[in-house]
Amino acid sequence: MRMRWKAGVVLLALGAPALALAVSPGGSLYVKAKNTRVMKSPSPTADAVVVLQPGQQVVWNGAEPSNKQWHKVTAPGGKQGFVFQTNLSTTPPRMELVAKDGNARQVDPAAFVASGAAVKALSPGAEQYSKEKGGDYAQSAEQLKQLEKLARDIKPAAIARHVTDAELFPVVGGSEVAGASGSSAAKKKGGAR
Amino acid sequence: MSRHLSVIVAAVLGGASAGCANIALNSSALSSGSAFAGRVMENGAKAVHDASKCNAFKVEPAVKEEYALGGAVAVHWVQRGGGLRLKGSGEPEVNVYLNTVGKNLAAQSERPTLEWTFGVLADSKNFTALSSPGGYVFVTHRLLAGVQNEAELAGVLSHEIAHIVLKHAIHQYTSSKVSLCKALAVGNAVGGALLPPAVVSTVVSGGDHGTLDLDGNTSLLGKLAEKTIDLLDKGNSKDEELEADRMAAQLMMSAGYDPRAFVSLLKRTDEGGGVFANHPKRDDRVENIEDYLKQVRATEGKQEFAGLTTQGLKSPPLPHEVTAQQGGVARDTK
Repeated sequence: MRMRWKAGVVLLALGAPALALAVSPGGSLYVKAKNTRVMKSPSPTADAVVVLQPGQQVVWNGAEPSNKQWHKVTAPGGKQGFVFQTNLSTTPPRMELVAKDGNARQVDPAAFVASGAAVKALSPGAEQYSKEKGGDYAQSAEQLKQLEKLARDIKPAAIARHVTDAELFPVVGGSEVAGASGSSAAKKKGGAR
Repeated sequence: MSRHLSVIVAAVLGGASAGCANIALNSSALSSGSAFAGRVMENGAKAVHDASKCNAFKVEPAVKEEYALGGAVAVHWVQRGGGLRLKGSGEPEVNVYLNTVGKNLAAQSERPTLEWTFGVLADSKNFTALSSPGGYVFVTHRLLAGVQNEAELAGVLSHEIAHIVLKHAIHQYTSSKVSLCKALAVGNAVGGALLPPAVVSTVVSGGDHGTLDLDGNTSLLGKLAEKTIDLLDKGNSKDEELEADRMAAQLMMSAGYDPRAFVSLLKRTDEGGGVFANHPKRDDRVENIEDYLKQVRATEGKQEFAGLTTQGLKSPPLPHEVTAQQGGVARDTK
């Protein structure tokens, strides 16, 4: 995926969570969550016609009258379908800052993942600092590394299963691939719970 | 590893951040001095010049720098919390559950592509949650024992996620960088203590466009992480707490949790759990969230797109993995 850079540094000016800006049918909305599925019909068990990632824009065509938590959208590339309400936002995700050529540059979430900068493990500096402090600090660093590995191994499919079992909103899709039922992973019981 | 928190590291549900920009230099280090720091400033004009360069640090750091800082701060939280509950009977399953719930919430935040990590501190005395830049969130064993359903837990995790998304601790960190730079620029011996000359030179020059290579210099990382923790120990500002509470309610509704569960948990705490003078009172926190929910309800059913709904929200029961771990720890929230 091509990197999308915005040059320049960002001054510390972070805003409070605000209510959604007004967007009318025909306007643009942003995808919030990983593996956001655009479904053939307004149901979490329908097939996904396309899977989108955070920061991508869709055209909002209004709420489905029979189930207003599902919204009709046109995805990039023209495919149409239905997206769950809370997968969409009137504001884009925050840009992440990646150092490049001596500057901190803003990148969108997709480019952030593509850059490899999203991969977190206890940083070399933090690990070395913990070793130099010794004792409980070094042991704490080792425990953190184990915890990070456990966390990394929990994939969207497991999250989707849990959401189904707990009857929460089907926001995070189990798969990055469209086609088969977008919630095939979610249909399997016994996920993380 | 110690099983006791030597310091109450943060207010209940308070996360890790504060709004104060002042840096209190460590008085114990005053006598240590630095020969190099004295060489940094050759005259008053130089000092004025160097101090102005410190404004370069008033920017958000890149993620790599955030990860380094966050990792070092997280190590402190784990150490203070008596270690992580990782390998005891049933503990791996609890960690899988906690990370599943937490990552689902974080995936819907404004920083969905960070690699988020959620853990349980061994501390069974303090009803506390903590966060660290870069996506680290911790709850104490005591807190885990005190939540009554998954929505309450989601409220706590969402509040901590909000502190990270809103970069409250990063604000403290940037204040620490500016403060250190200014101290070095005017030849303050404390600021330069134990730092190699080349590092001092980099800092007084404003880093590389405000960026510092913390991974490349652990003494600088340690100094800045500990300065930041000094500030975090003072607690969050009232405004930051209220801001994080609103975003927590937002994340809960996005995922399908009933945010009234978070309100219910707050009401069971002693004055919202705040132990710091600048923290909002429990009733202020409750009122703040309830006001936000009223605003969300007012947007429902309008012609325009509403990103949230108050319909169909749940408070799922805790799974057996968690309830099995709740025994033996006081479940009250005071």
